[in-house]
Order: sequence, then structure tokens, then C-alpha cells
Amino acid sequence: MEGHQRNLYLYERFNARVVGVSRDDVTTLKYWGDGLGVTFPLLSNVTGFLGTYFQIQPEGKPIFGRRTVIIDKTGIIRYVRDGSPEFKDILLFLKKLNQEGGKP
Amino acid sequence: MKRKVFLILCMMLVGMWLSACATTQTAQKPYRISPQGTVIWEDEFEFMPPPPDWKLLRPEGGGDINFGFMRSDLGGFPSTTTFAYDEEPFGCTAASFEGREKEFFKRFLFNAILNFQVLDRKEVQVVGGEGLQVDVEGKDPVRGEKVRARVIFGKRGDRIIGFYITQWRPMDGTYDTAAFDIFDKFVKSFKFLKKSFYETL
Repeated sequence: MEGHQRNLYLYERFNARVVGVSRDDVTTLKYWGDGLGVTFPLLSNVTGFLGTYFQIQPEGKPIFGRRTVIIDKTGIIRYVRDGSPEFKDILLFLKKLNQEGGKP
Repeated sequence: MKRKVFLILCMMLVGMWLSACATTQTAQKPYRISPQGTVIWEDEFEFMPPPPDWKLLRPEGGGDINFGFMRSDLGGFPSTTTFAYDEEPFGCTAASFEGREKEFFKRFLFNAILNFQVLDRKEVQVVGGEGLQVDVEGKDPVRGEKVRARVIFGKRGDRIIGFYITQWRPMDGTYDTAAFDIFDKFVKSFKFLKKSFYETL
């Protein structure tokens, strides 16, 4: 999340917005986000349906797997990567998407 | 029988030669030495290297630092000194060094759970621009260890970069200030040879 926060000015340049999703409750996320200095939205999804939707909900575990998803302005998923975010890869993809006119 | 042994020997030699080729390819160095004796790192950075007793540190598959150097010091555990260049020091703020300093020290050596005391804080010149140098000492009375660190924040384009040195000692050990001089020489000699990835976007 810290890396995304550092890159916010570049995401704005490429007409992209970033949102974090977690299974933590709202209060926990607020303290966690404030501690890191995160200013973009963090969504609390305690019930975990987003994890099921994005197929990152390990069975029987109260957490999500780590996955980066880029959705374009028409709602089409254009990029999916598992594990820690590859920030340079993400930025290059967003730049390309923005140049194509398919603003995320 | 002799012919069979000869064939096996030939096959082994070919195998050894192939494995030697593979080793050479994977061991490609990310740096070269300039005629002036400086290190040119991936054609992106130039700096004066530390003496040969310092080992190169480079995280595989990414990590908290870009690269650095480490030396085992005389004395008992944990007597070591490490310094590094970090393109993405902990924290997010790029507006001010002071803001980044606060964020950075929330995470710096976090796992060691130390009580830090700021020894000195001053403005410095680094990589051709303004910077901030912070000297700290952390102590862990339970494990009987202490660490002295110098963190230097500078700018590369719009982003804050960092250099830092940590020197660990047992609680009754003495610090080696000469290592900090070597670090300072490394930082003073450090140059960017081209724009960063972020500046080219």
C-alpha cells in the first residue's frame, strides 16, 4: 500500500484511481491506513464476497490472497497479477492503457 | 572396456564444460569499474566503492534496498556494519524530508524493536541537491545489543531516495567511526547517470 501511495501522482497522470480491499473491519483499516499515511480509499469487505468474485478467497481462511487487478473504464478486467505488486509493471501498463484511450 | 571408460570420460568433460558455460552466464555482474576506479552500476549509478573487505549485498527478486555493502566487524555478535542505497525508503511523503523521516523511522529496523534516540539531525548536500541527515542510536537492553545508524534522505526527480548505514554492537562494544567515513565517501561520490524509471514515465 505504501508503494501505491508513493505512486499516486503517477496514477493520476494516467487517469487511474487506486482502491485497496481487505477483509479487516473499518476501524482496523482506518488505524492501519492512518499509520501508513495512505490517503486513497481502503474498502472493508468483512464478508469476503469480493474475494470470491476475484477468486482470491482461500477456502476456510479469513483473509484474501494478494492480487492486483486493473479494471478499465468500461469495467473490463485488463490486468491481473498475484503476489506483491510489481509497481513498475503496473505503471507501464497504466501508461499504455491511458495512451490507448482505455482509461482505467 | 577402455573405449567405454573413454566415452564416459568424454561425456563427463562435455557435461562439465556445459555447466561451466551456464555458471558464467548466470554470474554476470551488474557493474563495471571505470578507469577512475569508480563503480558504474547497471549504467545508472556511479560511486566510489568501499575497500575490498566489504561484501556486496544485492537482494534477489527485489527487496528493501537496491544494493549495499556489508562487513563483519571485530567483537562478539552482532558486530556487523551494513550500508545501502535505497530507491524507495520506507514511507510515502515526498513533500518534505522531515515528513518522510517520521514515516521512515516507524519502520526502520522495526523487527528489532529498539528504542531510538536521535543523536544529530542536519541539512546536507547529497546527489547534487538538498538532503537531510539523521544520526540515531537504538538500544535493546533485553538482548544486550545496540545499533548506531545514519540515514541520509535526498531527491531523485520528484521522489525521495535514501542512503543508510547501520552498525550493530553488543551493548558493551565500541562503534567504529571509520566505517561511517567510508559510508560518507560512498554517498558523496554517488551520481545518477540517467533519469530514473519514474522520471521517464
